[in-house]
Amino acid sequence: MQSILSRSIKGPIGLIVSILVLIVIFSILNPRFGSIENLQNVLYQASVPLIVVVGATLVIQMGSIDLSVEGVMGASGMAWILLSPNTRHALDLGPWAWVIAIGLGLGLGLLSGLVHAKLKVPSFVVTLGTWYVGLGIAILLYGNGMLPSLTSEALARWPSRLSLGLPNSFWLAAVVILGGILASNYTGFGRGVLAVGNNETIARGGGMAVDRIKIAAFTVAGCLSGLAGILATMQLGSGSPDIGFGQLFTVIPAAVIAGTALGGGEGGVLRSILGVFLLIILNNGLVLAGVDPDFQSGVFGAILIVAIVAVAWPTRGALKVAK
Amino acid sequence: MTYELANSSDFPAEKRRAKGIAPMKAFRQFAAWHTIAPPLVFFAMLLVVGIFNPNYLGPFGISIVAATAAPILLVAVGQAMVLNIGSIDLSNAAISMLGAILLALWVPQLGVAGILGVLVLMTLVGALNGFVLAHTQVPSFALTLGTLGILQTAALVISDSQTIYLTQNRELVTAFYNTSLAFVPLTFWIGVLVAVAYWVLLRFTVVGQNMTAVGKNESGAILSAVPHRRIKTITFAVSGFTGAVAGLCIVAQGGSASASGLGSNLLLPGIAAALVGGTSISGGLTNPLNVIFGALTVAFVPIAIQALGFSAQAQSLVYGIFIILVVALTTTRTRGLVIK
Amino acid sequence: MTSAIPPVLKLTNVSRSFGKVKAVNNVSLTIARGEVIGLTGENGAGKSTLLKILAGIERPDEGTMEINGKPANFRSPNDAFRAGVGVVHQEQSLFTNLSVAENIALQNQDRSGLSRFGIRNWGEINRNASAVLDKIGVKLSPRARVGDLSFVDRQMVEIARAVCVEPGKDATPLIILDEPTAVLEQAEVEVLEREIRKLRRFASVIFVSHRLDEVLRICDRVVVMRHGSLTSDRSTEGVTKQDLFKAMVDDAPVAVTRARAATPAQSTPAIEARGLTVNGKFRDISFAVHPGRITALVGTNGSGRGALMRTLFGAGKPDAGTLLVNGQEVSNWSIRKAVAAGLAYVPAERKVEGMIGGYSGTRNIAMVHRQTAMVGPLLHPGRMARTAQTWFDRLDVNPNDITQPLDQFSGGNQQKVVLAKWLNSPDLRVLMLDHPLRGLDVGVSQAVNAQIREACKNGTAVVLIPDTIEEALDMADEILVLRDGQISARHDLSSGSDLAIKEIVAEMI
Repeated sequence: MQSILSRSIKGPIGLIVSILVLIVIFSILNPRFGSIENLQNVLYQASVPLIVVVGATLVIQMGSIDLSVEGVMGASGMAWILLSPNTRHALDLGPWAWVIAIGLGLGLGLLSGLVHAKLKVPSFVVTLGTWYVGLGIAILLYGNGMLPSLTSEALARWPSRLSLGLPNSFWLAAVVILGGILASNYTGFGRGVLAVGNNETIARGGGMAVDRIKIAAFTVAGCLSGLAGILATMQLGSGSPDIGFGQLFTVIPAAVIAGTALGGGEGGVLRSILGVFLLIILNNGLVLAGVDPDFQSGVFGAILIVAIVAVAWPTRGALKVAK
Repeated sequence: MTYELANSSDFPAEKRRAKGIAPMKAFRQFAAWHTIAPPLVFFAMLLVVGIFNPNYLGPFGISIVAATAAPILLVAVGQAMVLNIGSIDLSNAAISMLGAILLALWVPQLGVAGILGVLVLMTLVGALNGFVLAHTQVPSFALTLGTLGILQTAALVISDSQTIYLTQNRELVTAFYNTSLAFVPLTFWIGVLVAVAYWVLLRFTVVGQNMTAVGKNESGAILSAVPHRRIKTITFAVSGFTGAVAGLCIVAQGGSASASGLGSNLLLPGIAAALVGGTSISGGLTNPLNVIFGALTVAFVPIAIQALGFSAQAQSLVYGIFIILVVALTTTRTRGLVIK
Repeated sequence: MTSAIPPVLKLTNVSRSFGKVKAVNNVSLTIARGEVIGLTGENGAGKSTLLKILAGIERPDEGTMEINGKPANFRSPNDAFRAGVGVVHQEQSLFTNLSVAENIALQNQDRSGLSRFGIRNWGEINRNASAVLDKIGVKLSPRARVGDLSFVDRQMVEIARAVCVEPGKDATPLIILDEPTAVLEQAEVEVLEREIRKLRRFASVIFVSHRLDEVLRICDRVVVMRHGSLTSDRSTEGVTKQDLFKAMVDDAPVAVTRARAATPAQSTPAIEARGLTVNGKFRDISFAVHPGRITALVGTNGSGRGALMRTLFGAGKPDAGTLLVNGQEVSNWSIRKAVAAGLAYVPAERKVEGMIGGYSGTRNIAMVHRQTAMVGPLLHPGRMARTAQTWFDRLDVNPNDITQPLDQFSGGNQQKVVLAKWLNSPDLRVLMLDHPLRGLDVGVSQAVNAQIREACKNGTAVVLIPDTIEEALDMADEILVLRDGQISARHDLSSGSDLAIKEIVAEMI
């Protein structure tokens, strides 16, 4: 039973089957679930966590963790909207708004990476700190003024507009995913991430630039969180420091149920994508079935616990030390 | 025939150790840093605030700071106990939140029994965290992140996303805030009492000694017959209990509770206070008495920010920087150690 | 330069010291092309240090090294690799989550064509790996995940990786295999031996092993080290295992210097194993230790004696067999039950497992038996300190400071405190020690041994895993020799017969 559970959790087949089962159940419960509009809606909802999960997967593959997602999203999203046409003031930097906002995410990711790799601070504490640093930046940028809303119709509509039948949000996520898969499979960085996650001591002994790989992974994760923050802000149409609220509870369980073990070295971007879809479909279906959206973090939290326990169960040992 | 004469690979290690005597002394002084730094940082903070806004050093200021510090202190001593065994409890602030909501719901009908019920229930929630952690050996931050999600949902659903006001038996709870002793509300004194109790637990009981042993060296503790699973369960139960008491302080102060109200953001201040109070993130080192200073320091942060002329909204930013700085300064870095 | 081809390796008077100890002492060695050299000797004889010098991990204090006729002065393992020295370390160093080809490619990063503009060229990586695997004649898919391979196949990947060295035109690679057979099954060893013979077509090989019959089968020449020096260097032709033993061990039969405790006629054994088995570690182990006797478990590192001791202490679950403590059969054995029954265990990994480094001597001693330090439910600091002070004085711990964290003491003084922690028992029935003298100097070793004997005199049964056979002969009343997880011989020293070290060594391998 244990082995079946953990194997089904590790293999992508199990994930795909679970997704299909969910789709069937929800379609029966509510015919609207299977409608084209709703499927487009699912893709639209999934695009932000899909972008975040690419970076999170790289970090978890190294055996580290990035808890800063929500804060970085808040900082970048707020920076972006204040530099784009909005109700607060006329300042419009156009593409530079993107560069600066993603640069902010990059900076925060770099900070996490540097402190973690160079000062040897456990990643969960550093990124807990960066989370609040990002959140603090967002709150400070927000200040006491009025709610900044997007005034440009083109920008506000862009995420939901359809191209080739799919929302633009999703196309953006698809580009990121493609980049993530390429980086993971075809670059020294991506392979280095897997090597470090598998055995850092050997990687160091073999002369690999382990610290550089770690810093790079956190930086990439920061950039992607920043991009996700911008997209989420665009989707909402107005700025909020809490724009990333709940993302952590989607992204980490998604990566873990997709087999990206928290110990590192396993899993992959593609699988984590499936994990995100599983959770988003579950959430969408539950909402359509009349379940209060408040249940989301609870359901995802429970899934996270079951997933980590199922993965950790077979490797328990009398003398194994877990912190 | 691998019977080691004197394992040759031991020699470089011995040499490193011999060389390491000077840094060892430096480390001892450093370790002493943990014992004096928390009050020092606090008095420095007090000085800054005193120069810019002397009002805060008067009776009124003290009572405000102590009131703010009370829930932070409680969450922080619980967190310090968990950090002491080398784990982290990301759910303990959510436990206070849920505890506060349950108190506001139960006390009007049940009175004192309601308070006791919440304390017991939240202690059990903490114990469950610890039990699952100890028996499945999953990383504590991941497990308690999951619990955090579940508790958040529970708080939202139980309160129906509304603010719950204490309608009856109000004084039973608010008295803890309204009664003062030396200008300081009772809620803070409860925090001090709990901190002292945990200090006694760690210093003078077998359970406490075993907790610190698990934090310093879990394998060594297991092979010295320490019941490490029970110890972890107890530690998380302690964190849950303290979280519930923090919930009591929240309700006492506001007379109400909600999933997004007073105290909904205690996680980070709690961790920051534990760390500023000299608790080591890698385990095996804490002094609950110093965490009192840590909590006071953290409670002063928003006041100090304003005294220095910044917006109070810089709070989160400062907490975040605080955590990164304190951890970066106090983490012991052993060469070759793999940090995840 | 003469017309003759230069030797692949030429060491001249190489030495390396650690503190006062000469780990490698004036070693000169020449290896010709295509030669397979066996390197053997006791642990601590200096083999590992010599290998580290060749692999660029350690640098020699004195002497010169030439590889393929060129002077070699390695600053890092990468230097050694570029010069043509490929090493297969004792511990496998493969990434189990990556493919065979990628593991080979990671070792080989300077090689052109494997990636273009930072983008991996998987075709080239797989072709390159296939070529290397073909070269050493191994049939493995380059795409296979290393984690899915058997142990011996992984060893092949390690060899393939080592063979990737490119010492340049007309130069011969030197492949070092550090105890590659230590953890292999018999059939796997045969596969490996075949591979090593193939290597000599294009490389010279240094094969390090404790298994002398293997060395004699595989190698052209065998080199023996003892106390850092080469004591024998000769062709394997006509050499017997006995000859090698003589070169390896100081060959004096150990005189029986003290009276040994005989098995008491009708006492209950303090601890007894009946058919105890842990799959993959040891099987069908039966023995009993009576109060007042010392039993030494002798064997190689892979013999399973460490795992056996941990199982006796409840730190591992047996798969079969029964365990009797004080005559009672036990079930659901655990560390806590073991300690309650009067068992004690001094682990080999002192710093990691034996003690709580950050705790003072006082707290360490109070970790297990603290009945005397309790007042009601509370620990009494004064009483704890008094107990600790008694032990510090009795064992002459230096510095005599019971408040100082234990990790600031020297290894020997740490070991004294670890011992004190267990000796502070009101009813110590069985004392188990795994390498208790590891890293200790002579004076402390004697003090520790004196305490063990003292406990024994007071009726404690002792199970000892000694560092050396000399230690076993010195301490034990009975010696059990373990080989590959089974007891291969028993010697009751109380019978008074003289026992030679080499006799025991022969039973171990």
